[in-house]
Amino acid sequence: MKALKTLRQLDLMAFFRFKIALYLGCLAGLVCRLLGREGTSLPGWIALRLYPNLLRDLARSIDKVIIITGTNGKTTTANLLARILKERAGFEVVHNKEGANMPAGVAAALMASVFRACGASKRVAVLEVDEGSLGYILKQIPANLIVVTNILRDQLDRYHELEQTLNYIRQSLAFAPQAELLLNADDPLVASLGGSLSERFVYYFGLERTPYIRLDGGDVQEGHICPGCRGLLVFAYYHYSHLGHYTCPRCGWGRPFPHFRVKDLQKRERGYNFTFVYPGGEEEIFTSLPGLYNCYNILAALAAGWVSGVNPKEAAELVAAFKPGRGRAETFRLKGKRFTLLLVKNPTGLSEALRAVIETRPGVYLLAINDLAADGRDVSWLWDVDWEPLVGYPGKRIICSGLRAWDMAVCLRYQGIDLSLVKIVPQQAKSLKEALKEEADEILILCTYTNLSLYRRLLIRMGGQSEVKDLSPLPRTA
Amino acid sequence: MRLRICHLYPELLNLYGDRGNLLVLQRRAEWRGIAVEINRISLGDTLAPDKYDLFFLGGGSDEDQGIVARDLLIKGPYLQEALARGAALLAICGGYQLLGRYYQTRTNEVFEGVGLFPVFTIAGDKRLKGNIAIEVEVLSTPLPVVGFENHIGKTYPERPREGFRPLGRILFGYGNNGEDGTEGCVYGRAIGTYLHGPLLAKNPHLADYILTLALEARYGKVELRPLPGDEIEWKAHEAFLRRFSKERRR
Repeated sequence: MKALKTLRQLDLMAFFRFKIALYLGCLAGLVCRLLGREGTSLPGWIALRLYPNLLRDLARSIDKVIIITGTNGKTTTANLLARILKERAGFEVVHNKEGANMPAGVAAALMASVFRACGASKRVAVLEVDEGSLGYILKQIPANLIVVTNILRDQLDRYHELEQTLNYIRQSLAFAPQAELLLNADDPLVASLGGSLSERFVYYFGLERTPYIRLDGGDVQEGHICPGCRGLLVFAYYHYSHLGHYTCPRCGWGRPFPHFRVKDLQKRERGYNFTFVYPGGEEEIFTSLPGLYNCYNILAALAAGWVSGVNPKEAAELVAAFKPGRGRAETFRLKGKRFTLLLVKNPTGLSEALRAVIETRPGVYLLAINDLAADGRDVSWLWDVDWEPLVGYPGKRIICSGLRAWDMAVCLRYQGIDLSLVKIVPQQAKSLKEALKEEADEILILCTYTNLSLYRRLLIRMGGQSEVKDLSPLPRTA
Repeated sequence: MRLRICHLYPELLNLYGDRGNLLVLQRRAEWRGIAVEINRISLGDTLAPDKYDLFFLGGGSDEDQGIVARDLLIKGPYLQEALARGAALLAICGGYQLLGRYYQTRTNEVFEGVGLFPVFTIAGDKRLKGNIAIEVEVLSTPLPVVGFENHIGKTYPERPREGFRPLGRILFGYGNNGEDGTEGCVYGRAIGTYLHGPLLAKNPHLADYILTLALEARYGKVELRPLPGDEIEWKAHEAFLRRFSKERRR
């Protein structure tokens, strides 16, 4: 209980209120679990209401705080980094690993750690933080390192436009003038965060040219305006979305040369091989994770590990063995079939997921689209997805489900997909039964946030066996 | 038959799946044996007023809209000429605002618009967003037009109001300004609206109406045959109304 001891520095009344908030919150979490609900954020929600400075005071017991923010890749990057720091640096890691990345989720993770703390080793918090909560969190918790993965088109009804998200992150970073930054050099929006902040240490990571680059950015382009002079950026090539190699012909600004790089990337049957280049060395990396976006996640985690003092040579083995967390490409065995759950929440995520799996995974695609608050109320993003992989491999069976199953089907119709191959089954449980009737035994479920936990529960209820060992609950959402 | 579409500022005005509208128009024309040609015209390009049957503008972020606004002032007269020759136009959200008289930002900066639609827009203090349904009179099928809106600008008709024809009346949602029950604006063959989703995805009746508007000027009255397979759209339309009309009607 070293954590609680450090908190005695607070005055007595405050300490008392703090403790009440802590215990009541934890009690609520316990009750939740006894009732069979998944209360990942509830303890934090209650405690924050009872004691608004909860995060600030909980953070006093942490030696080092690493915050990961951005649109995509937060959870995977944070999970891998937490693993690396725990197993290779001997830190005691506090981590909101269920992707509960709003203040209540962060509070719940810190609260749980207070009771686990044993006091012997250094404590580091690896926190993934929703872009919208970054300002609040940074005001309360003094961060040592902030990783920004990317800024992509996301749930626009929540965070409006990209420049606004960027400005919001920029303003939030001002609350943590002491923090070092680790930024994605390939994303001009993210890279621009480093320019104006000359007082601090800024590191960049990025991909070198790969065999899989695209010369054309396609119709959907963001981040094509120079943050310095507002001219149009010129891209030599794109990796995906607006991530690539760019310069501004008007003012000369361009992609910063990254400290951490992925070199000689090669696709394997499952996953990738690449060389991780860091200041003073190189390391061969293999990963079984699909998709270029996961290479970025691994790159960011290895870089953050290096900044925290972990030799990449010692981390390579962990990367090779790393399996994503619950719902991040989690697989289930059920009645001789393999169901893979993939969370998709924005056009880039869905486009890249399709691109990554289409060649290797035959069979059935279950598209489960909801439009609740956590999914984004506006489903027009489906039309910004690059459906080409699905159109280009005709004959795939497709099932549309969820509250917006019909919208999904309309979109597929206009993409040029033969609707006689598409089943529309809005009810999620029924859609799984339909999938079981199909001949193919590899079934991919691409689902929005609220469908993720639902399908997971349904699969388990039907007798599915998860291939992820750790079975703690998924975040509940509104 | 050939339909020539001009997609204005495709790389800047492309929020909210707007390009989906062009895909819907293209497919619905092609399925009826009409060839479709889409030209992308952007910053600094010349706009030939006699080359197109239909112009399309989507919505953009504030940043991008500012850049477009300057360029659009130069293209404005050519666009006006094209419409006077009989071309049709569809403008969504930001595109709609840019074609009004002016846009006043929250810091009271005023951007001059093209002045095609007799409306002006003032930035409000909260975003008007959510699912929306409107009643549109001119459509052959007496069903509402449905979609999603998300805008901070509030659009009002210029005085005197006589010249102003809204696209529709609100069943639920906010529309132009959340105050007067109107949504969008019609001027000749030009339609401006806040609805996306994309707009034409679940509204085949409106999509076909816009196709006839665009073809009319060159081919006279065009009769578009019904399309098999539209059941999916109508199912989506029905599911939408069933879920949201109770929830959102005020």
